[in-house]
Amino acid sequence: MKVKGFAVICKIELQLFTRDFFSFFFTLIFPVLMLLLFGGIFGNAPIYAGADVRMMDISVPAYAVMIIGVTGLMSLPLTLSGYKEKKIYKRFDASPVGKKSIMLAQVLVNLIMTLIGILILLIAGKLLYHIQIKGTFLSVCTGMLFSIAAMFSIGFLFTAIGKDLKSTTLLCYLFYFIMLFLSGATMPDMLFPDTIKKFSDFLPMTYAVDLMQGIFAGDSLRLHITKLLILAFVTVICTVIGVVLYRKKDWA
Amino acid sequence: MSQAIVQVENLNLTYKNLHAVQNISFSVKPGEILAVIGQNGSGKTSTVECIEGLRRPDSGFIQVFGKNPWTHRREVYKEMGVQLQEAEYPAKIKVAELCSLFAGFYERPADWRLLLTQIGLDEKRKCLVSKLSGGEKQRLSILLSLIGRPKLLVLDELTTGLDPEVRQNMWSSFENIRKSGTAIIMVSHYLDEVEALADKILYLEKGKQQFFGTKQAFRSYVKSRISPDEWKDNLSLEKLYLMIAPKTTGLTMEGIL
Repeated sequence: MKVKGFAVICKIELQLFTRDFFSFFFTLIFPVLMLLLFGGIFGNAPIYAGADVRMMDISVPAYAVMIIGVTGLMSLPLTLSGYKEKKIYKRFDASPVGKKSIMLAQVLVNLIMTLIGILILLIAGKLLYHIQIKGTFLSVCTGMLFSIAAMFSIGFLFTAIGKDLKSTTLLCYLFYFIMLFLSGATMPDMLFPDTIKKFSDFLPMTYAVDLMQGIFAGDSLRLHITKLLILAFVTVICTVIGVVLYRKKDWA
Repeated sequence: MSQAIVQVENLNLTYKNLHAVQNISFSVKPGEILAVIGQNGSGKTSTVECIEGLRRPDSGFIQVFGKNPWTHRREVYKEMGVQLQEAEYPAKIKVAELCSLFAGFYERPADWRLLLTQIGLDEKRKCLVSKLSGGEKQRLSILLSLIGRPKLLVLDELTTGLDPEVRQNMWSSFENIRKSGTAIIMVSHYLDEVEALADKILYLEKGKQQFFGTKQAFRSYVKSRISPDEWKDNLSLEKLYLMIAPKTTGLTMEGIL
């Protein structure tokens, strides 16, 4: 019974995700458009003379992190916050499933859409620019998992900190765009001046971008252990603080 | 005598400095309709939200189907349907999707398609819930409370926003539901509704229980609270209530002009 109820919730939440223009467009379509745009501007030459790695080989993993950012820092937290503000969770709490099942379904749906978005991006990259993924399947999955966990937990923390949808939206937009432009997710960080580079070291998304780019280039996970630890640390801290703050909230 | 399915003793609930519910005690048996009445802010919704397990009381004893609704909420909701005073749903969800979602929560759900037809919302099946009128949303909320074939229904302002004809239809529907053995707790400001449906009344004033008993006993209670000159036989429940309810002043022309 519980499985059937949860499956119904996931199905409906998936339908709602696809009806939300922002989430749908920025998760599934926009990254491919970015690929075409920057591919058109920068071309797909080696990143430096004689390099084995080409521009699109480092752009695709960066755009994959951008997709993770859209779902983790925008789509998921804004949905959670909207449900909370309109007391939609309260209505589900007055049913045999409860709000936790709805929240879990929303996390799962955003995770699925993230993976679909990344898959579309990879297919587009392969077809259009013949990108190379030198990392093993396991290391690519591990890198994605750590990046997703960190971004989703930051989004979760924002919904716990934000008093209402307005303040949560502000937090999400602010941090998403700062991280998007200064982490190397949209433009390569080798183009940044030193001061910006120093600032970007404080952004969790920077480590996700570096990790994904490294793994796509064929690095072993051991080479990126510091980045993995930082992302794990961000995940734990944001989740724990978020849970503590959520327990203090009045849901009724 | 059948056992009470809702048992509340000395219930207390405080919001920061406001003692919203003070030492309230009552019980509800299968097939009974209890009306909770009182002015705005008298603690009606807070009381029923404790029964619904949505608020944790500061002290007191509550059992619904022999279980504490706060700690055993999921189990209690298998047999309890609720219509909240204010309920919102996801903005982009359609009527049929919401019904099928709620039906998925129960092992043996009612036929929501049939209920949609009976409640006059069949044509709205493909509409977004957010586009429904207030009355239509209210009817949908009532329908959702019935999907799990509940043995206890908690309805907070069940006919607010409904037109008179639909209200009358709802009354006969709830009368039929009660006959099947389902107990109903209804919060209402409409005393004609209470007169038509309720077996028992719980009357609250500023969080305090003033009366709990049958409609007939409520008449005796009102008689005991007013002067003999004011009393008339065969007064409607609304008139009786207005005799004892705390007086509030309406707008004066002086204030408006």
